[in-house]
Amino acid sequence: MNPIISVKNLNISFTLRGERTRVIRDVSLDVLPGENLAIVGESGSGKSVFCKAMMGLLDANGQIDSGEIIYNNQDLTKLRTEKEWLPLRGSHIAIVMQDPMTSLNPLLTIGSQILEAIKLHQNLKGPQAYEAALSYLQDVGIQDPKKRFRQYPHEFSGGMRQRVVIAIAIACRPKILLCDEPTTAIDVTIQAQILSLLKDLKNKYNLTTIYITHDLGVVANVADRIAVMYAGDFVEIGPCEEVFKNPSHPYTWALLLSMPQLAKKGENIYSIEGSPPNMKNSLPGDAFAPRNRYALKYDFVARPPLLQVSPGHFARTWLLDPRAPHIPTPTHAPAQALQADFASDKTPILEVKNLTITFGKGKKQLIAVNDVSFNILKGETFGIAGESGSGKTTLGRALLRIYSPSSGEIYFKGKKISGKLSKHDDLLLTRAMQMIFQDPMSSLNERAKVASIVAEGLHNIGSPDIKSKVHSALQEVGLRADFADRFPHEFSGGQRQRVGIARAMVMAPEFIVADEPISALDVSIRAQVLNLMSRLQRERGLSYLFISHDLSVMRHICNRIAALYRGVMVELADTETLFERPMHPYTRSLLSAIPHPDPLLEKNKVLITYDPSLHQYSNDPPSFRELEKNHFVHCNDQEEKAIRELYKI
Amino acid sequence: MRKKDLVLSEALAKSASRGYEELAEQELFTLAEYRPEETEPLSYIGYSYWKSSLRIFVRNKTTMFFVFLIALTLLFTFIQPFLPGQKDPIKIYNDETGIQIRNAQPGKGFLFGTNAIGQDLWSRTWSGTRTSLFIGFVVAIVEAAVGVLIGVLWGYLRKLDFLFTELYNIFDNIPQTLILILISYVLHPSLKTIIFALCLTGWLTTARYVRNQVIVIRDRDYNLASRCLGTPTSRLILHNLLPYLVSIITMRMAMAIPYAISNEVFVTYIGLGLPLTLPSLGNLIVSGIDKMMEPALRYQLIFPTVVLSIVTVSFYVIGNAFADASDPKNHVA
Repeated sequence: MNPIISVKNLNISFTLRGERTRVIRDVSLDVLPGENLAIVGESGSGKSVFCKAMMGLLDANGQIDSGEIIYNNQDLTKLRTEKEWLPLRGSHIAIVMQDPMTSLNPLLTIGSQILEAIKLHQNLKGPQAYEAALSYLQDVGIQDPKKRFRQYPHEFSGGMRQRVVIAIAIACRPKILLCDEPTTAIDVTIQAQILSLLKDLKNKYNLTTIYITHDLGVVANVADRIAVMYAGDFVEIGPCEEVFKNPSHPYTWALLLSMPQLAKKGENIYSIEGSPPNMKNSLPGDAFAPRNRYALKYDFVARPPLLQVSPGHFARTWLLDPRAPHIPTPTHAPAQALQADFASDKTPILEVKNLTITFGKGKKQLIAVNDVSFNILKGETFGIAGESGSGKTTLGRALLRIYSPSSGEIYFKGKKISGKLSKHDDLLLTRAMQMIFQDPMSSLNERAKVASIVAEGLHNIGSPDIKSKVHSALQEVGLRADFADRFPHEFSGGQRQRVGIARAMVMAPEFIVADEPISALDVSIRAQVLNLMSRLQRERGLSYLFISHDLSVMRHICNRIAALYRGVMVELADTETLFERPMHPYTRSLLSAIPHPDPLLEKNKVLITYDPSLHQYSNDPPSFRELEKNHFVHCNDQEEKAIRELYKI
Repeated sequence: MRKKDLVLSEALAKSASRGYEELAEQELFTLAEYRPEETEPLSYIGYSYWKSSLRIFVRNKTTMFFVFLIALTLLFTFIQPFLPGQKDPIKIYNDETGIQIRNAQPGKGFLFGTNAIGQDLWSRTWSGTRTSLFIGFVVAIVEAAVGVLIGVLWGYLRKLDFLFTELYNIFDNIPQTLILILISYVLHPSLKTIIFALCLTGWLTTARYVRNQVIVIRDRDYNLASRCLGTPTSRLILHNLLPYLVSIITMRMAMAIPYAISNEVFVTYIGLGLPLTLPSLGNLIVSGIDKMMEPALRYQLIFPTVVLSIVTVSFYVIGNAFADASDPKNHVA
């Protein structure tokens, strides 16, 4: 089959502060018509740049140095002006961007935004165009399209907006659809729906789709073929099942092994140490070599060719060369096993009783957390799962006294900490309870050196030996002590996250609220941070409140999980019990949406959608009940009966 | 790039192949040593916010011209009285016959000529510039101090937001000129009165600018982190907020100076400004305006106006250029 678009020896570089950085390094790729290709890579690997080059959308400081992008017998790298690009964009290649919150014009109705695409690309007018617009809205699963047609973007939820964005892209009738992280900014349960929508549309409109993603679950779900990108180069290309079954580049091995879903509970996750290379430096060999425990000396010297593993499956590593020693694909974490059960004397370190947090007053009042009660045991990792807007972050911050509860009490080691506290108690609590943040970019003060960021808490409690404590904290999180003199922007996301952890750890806390600590990090970095958190827990007997939307990660790290839906705790159980016997319909929908890094599981998974209107609570009010030992569910009498029947308890 | 970093990055590039290229073929196909220290490269080595700001500021040629111009003017303004052969700005000069040297054309004796009562315009112009700059600087400093203090509290303490917003609305809706005129009218015209009147309203804009910026950055996670670490609000403001406000503060100060000077001219023009015994650019220009219709005497208006323009335009251009240079978005190229 002839490729629909063919990239040959493409080199792209960016100029940043007068220095040139090679972002795409001599890359070739053929995209076949009708296929679902997924380009997988971490942030900064160049995957987005690669795709932007196909649409002529490189940033002003980026330039194509050499190479060809052949589409329709035309070399796209030769196109210079916007005018030359216009006939191609949309009608041949369309793009769905990551963030549906910013990719729609907030001042126009979604109807007029779709109409614009239809008028431009299909030459339809008046009622015909209107009808077409309605049918596209219908196609992307928007109910009542006539009414929705007249609405503005702010009247749509995130998932719905992404559907609209997709409708606009489809309305251009493209041959190729580029999806740049199409589900990253969307909740898990919606994610799976968007992906199945994209697959349906691909078949209906006979598209070639190229997905750009860092999420191996997404890849397993949608892709026919995978291209793995590392430091601006494709290190492995092959059919989806093949690559997942028989990863051949050490980076792909490591990437797949570092998925917490595949790790055994209580064991260290296989992790790729370190950070991606600085692309400003020259990378003579395989860019992954320094982080690769199985690198050959040749990998440092010369760039390996794409060597064939099996028909259609290639990897760029000298390990596949006949002269190389045979190295079996590692299957297990090289580090020692952790204790499977947490060492807990079952005394609660934190107790929350009927906690309610509201914002605003009167009609505008928002109940962020609604009558929530739970305990966190000493040495335990307690997970709170929920989607955006579920109140999980608010709850976590309330425990750290950032928000004060509207009603209810919080006890720390048996002492009430909600309400007014003496200065002395306040200081003690500050030491004992710390927080790890989601976004390593915004959680560090850009204008302060790492040393003063880490030392901040120590200054506040008047601690002696600040300098040596900072150095040992940095070493504890795997950073060199001389990094203390540097500013945050000199670090990568994973390194910054570890600085954030050092900042919390230096206070020697007993309890830590980790608010989505890994969701903003790259896959290869996630395992590092999770392992670090587990190790610190083991060594220091820490208790964690682990807030996340990703149940697969929580299954690995949490002892107990509570599901939160619109501020109400709907279910609380031991992790494995929750996965085996989810009782609340919302928990079931969350579990069904978990992405698996396994193409077979992922392509056949059945989604359960949760519709809160199925509850009939008007006569039979619900409460938070213990249906079996340590398994609590928010339900009413009728539902309790049904659950007991189902699980025979 | 710091020299240390340059050496480091060169070393990194050289060590990327670890010297393995000299090895024999069978040696190349053996496992390499795993060195954990090489797995943590740094990105953006040697970027410094202030250095980058300065670099972009200096790169702009127009700005540098004005920096040079204002530096020269300022320097000269302050050393002028100490130069040899300078005349007294207040003294009335008479010729041999005892008659005042009125409206003498610029020339050898009087570089800028004399005014209607025989005072030396050269020394009066520089003395006036000193007065006006003094007003400008004092007002800018007071405005910055008060504006930043109020602005930070206004932006950071949510409870005060309503109160300050209403106060701002009230004050901002009274025309500033009205306040200026009223104060100058009620109080005795003097340097203090003018400075007081200008300070009374000038801080409002600074406070609003600061407040808006504080609101943008106050909810960033790093501030939350500081609160979790028990950092007192005062330290938080000093370490977490102020460094992000420096560009706004400097820009506002640079703008406040020309603004204060022009207001002084305005107040003097409507007759409520400084007494003639204290030369300022204001009263020099006002007396110059009287002579505007006589072509031969126009120099009396032109000289102070030129100096005024140099000072105001320079500060304005420099302030804007600095605001641009200190925006991290412009540090990319």
